[in-house]
Amino acid sequence: MSGFLAWLRERIPVQGAQLHELTNEPVPNHLKRWWFALGGTPAYLFVVQIITGILLAFYYQPAAATAFESVRYITEEASFGWYLRSLHKWAATLMIAAVILHQMRVYFTAAYRRPRELNWVIGMCLLMCTLLTGFTGYSLVFEQLSYWGATVAANISDAVPVIGSFAKQMLLAGDNYNERTLSRFYILHAAVLPTTIILLVVVHIIFIRLHGVTELKLEDEPEDKPKHFNFFPDHILTELMIGLVLMVLLSALATIFPATMGPKADPLTTPEVIKPEWFFYVSFRWLKLFSLTFAVLSTGFIVGAMFLWPWIDKVLRRITGIEDISVYIGIVATFALVGLTVWEAAVAH
Amino acid sequence: MTVTAKQYIIGFLGLMFLASLVFVQMMEVERKKAESGKGVAHAVIPASSRSCVECHQKSSPGIIDHWQGSTHANKGVGCVECHKAAKEDIDAFDHYGSIIATIVTPKDCGRCHKTETEEFLASHHAKAGNILASLDNFLAETVEGSRVPFNPHSPTPGKEVDVVNGMASVNVGCRQCHGSKIALEGTNGSLITVDELKPDADGVPTNLEMVSLVKKDDNGRPVLHDGSWPNTGIGRLNLDGSRGSCSACHSRHDFSPRRARQPENCGKCHLGPDHPQKEIYEESKHGVAFRDLKEHMNLDAKHWVLGEDYTQAPTCASCHMSGHTRNGGKVTHDPGERLSWTNRPPVSLVMDTDINGAVIKEADPVERQKQIVSSWQDKRQEMKNVCLHCHTQNYVNAFYKQYDDFVVNYNEKFAKPGVAIMGELRKQELLTKQDFDEEIEWTWFYLWHHEGRRARHGASMMAPDYAHWHGMYEVAERFYQQLIPQAREIAEHAGESGKADQAQAVLDLIDDILARPEHEWFEQAKKLADAGPASVTTEAVAATTEDKAAPAETATPAAGGNEEAKSSDAPKADAAPKEPESEPAETDGK
Repeated sequence: MSGFLAWLRERIPVQGAQLHELTNEPVPNHLKRWWFALGGTPAYLFVVQIITGILLAFYYQPAAATAFESVRYITEEASFGWYLRSLHKWAATLMIAAVILHQMRVYFTAAYRRPRELNWVIGMCLLMCTLLTGFTGYSLVFEQLSYWGATVAANISDAVPVIGSFAKQMLLAGDNYNERTLSRFYILHAAVLPTTIILLVVVHIIFIRLHGVTELKLEDEPEDKPKHFNFFPDHILTELMIGLVLMVLLSALATIFPATMGPKADPLTTPEVIKPEWFFYVSFRWLKLFSLTFAVLSTGFIVGAMFLWPWIDKVLRRITGIEDISVYIGIVATFALVGLTVWEAAVAH
Repeated sequence: MTVTAKQYIIGFLGLMFLASLVFVQMMEVERKKAESGKGVAHAVIPASSRSCVECHQKSSPGIIDHWQGSTHANKGVGCVECHKAAKEDIDAFDHYGSIIATIVTPKDCGRCHKTETEEFLASHHAKAGNILASLDNFLAETVEGSRVPFNPHSPTPGKEVDVVNGMASVNVGCRQCHGSKIALEGTNGSLITVDELKPDADGVPTNLEMVSLVKKDDNGRPVLHDGSWPNTGIGRLNLDGSRGSCSACHSRHDFSPRRARQPENCGKCHLGPDHPQKEIYEESKHGVAFRDLKEHMNLDAKHWVLGEDYTQAPTCASCHMSGHTRNGGKVTHDPGERLSWTNRPPVSLVMDTDINGAVIKEADPVERQKQIVSSWQDKRQEMKNVCLHCHTQNYVNAFYKQYDDFVVNYNEKFAKPGVAIMGELRKQELLTKQDFDEEIEWTWFYLWHHEGRRARHGASMMAPDYAHWHGMYEVAERFYQQLIPQAREIAEHAGESGKADQAQAVLDLIDDILARPEHEWFEQAKKLADAGPASVTTEAVAATTEDKAAPAETATPAAGGNEEAKSSDAPKADAAPKEPESEPAETDGK
């Protein structure tokens, strides 16, 4: 055995101490509270998505003629197909929710401030990629709502000045939804976006590792207590527990509310009610409130502001002199976000 | 701000966000349910109907509840959209500021459902009210009841009855399927119907004198005659000149397509001894499969296209009305469009129809061809297109061969002879002009109207027991054991009472019919019995009769011969034991 270890160590010249040093980042005490440890949740769910996604890809056929039937086959005939598809659907929902919760935590604790501005930008990129993956994935089902959701989304992107029509062309592979659109969505959903997410996550973690986790001093903590604890095994255990709870939650959701089949996409019949996936409810409601161009431009402006928030925060603090100005703005923004989402959910049109 | 405070802010906002997601998911589940038709769809109450809904929610909540589950409610079609009326409409009245009418006619439904209404109006369904002067109606009006009210002949303890409404059976029976002639009460005691009102194309009455006669109640509403309303008979004769009632099949106020697609819906009328289509369907493999697989039949689907939305089993609607993949999903509201035989009359006719959709009776082939707008072959092809979703071409063709053979056998063996015998009795004036006052008229009615239809419908929809035991068996029994003896008896009585020629004509006809190969078996044994040992006797009898012939007794040889044959049961069994016995045995074996 020791002979084998020596052989291995010679081929992979990494020392145990180095490995320990590399992985065992000192973790600030506040992360002992699980709600501060939600950054790992999207990553965990992302792994679930990759595994279930690969299994679903075995069956899925990205063409207008076969897509719906292949999803139906997965849902109704393939062994455990319904379960895998439901897990995939619910993990997507939870992943987006977890990304948003994680971002809220980072935002309200101002963890994006110097020197971590770039990691916030990477986080924003991850949010965008996650939303796009959700959108393209939903469209793949090729049922009425997903088809019309994609059509509406393409028409919205058309309203963006200058680059709009080009963006629409790129998205749909033509002026309209056509037989090449689905394969484009599929490649984006199953290859381009996941790879991008993996790369961004790696950079995201490298940045965390380089800067260390933002240290938050909780008032009720005794002064003499050590400020950090070990990543391994202490923090890993917390993450494992969160993972197990998530798995139970996912499994329960997938079983109680399994993914179903709507009517097949019919380009000739516009459904009564068109709704995008829930994470676009905010922008959908926003669009309905204003003229299309204004809504699209203002959405672009808001997203841009989110990307640049670490610097905007700095400017705002300097101008107003209020240290927690971003917290107040954040509260208003969260209420707006939740309000618009609920509004869109509650009404048919 | 302390970290703890921020922690609470994050906690609160995070929970609020998660709660909003739960709400979003809940709404999504609800919407999916509504889409698949399983949930209560969101009712959109149009402003014009808001006050109706508020008030009727208290006074008659069932109406509102039914409506709220309907597609109408989901699409914002409220009370006023259907019930609204023009001021000039004869039955219009002001109801809390809206001019409405109680009865919604196909003309009203046609405001939105134009194609459906047109198809319906072209159908036999819309003409169901034509029965109101027919043989069937005479039965209910006169035989079962009385056309004029009469006085009770003894008291009904606990209830004061001053007059008996003899039309009760018509109102409750016939008209609830066939449709009533809607009538308003007049101030002079008369009844005002579409015949008096003479409405124009818009349904507005042109006979203003009659309009002024309409009786109004305390609230200013025209009074609908209780004999004619409530009524949802499918061929209702409405005051606006339109025919029919859409709610006959699309029950108010939910107008559920799901219900209209199920056989029970048609079973309100298409059942019973004279046309048990629903029971026939239930006995058939089609009905058996439906009962088993109903849950999988997607009955809530928006279009319910056979071959696309379901294939498990057909219902009445599937074959006679619904869309399927071979006709592009086109629904028809004329259930006659796919029928190649009409099995309604005593003798079945092929469904060549003229420009008015009426079945052509013309016999001359050239003249007939000129009148055909839609041939029975076209209609059969329409039906075959339905069958082919689950059966092969050969199978369907062979089924139709069996069905055609069955109907033709019934027509030729019993129906046409029956028509001929009854016709001859009338022609020879051996029956009174009055229907149903003689036994043979009931016999004949049972034969074609009940048993004959049961047999033919049984064959048309693959119910063997109805085709045979409830059908042809009873037709045969009625024909041989009742119709023929009763006709002969009438003739014999006529012969005895000095109508020898007339009687002879009838008896000759009967003999001609019974001499046909398909009837030959019936009296063969008797004939053989007569012909064997009695061949000499018969001649001798004939000779003696000739000798002694009195002019008035011309009819007696035949009548006597018959009488003899009838009473000679014993010689029949003795003289020809083998043939008659072997034949029934074979029949039993089949």
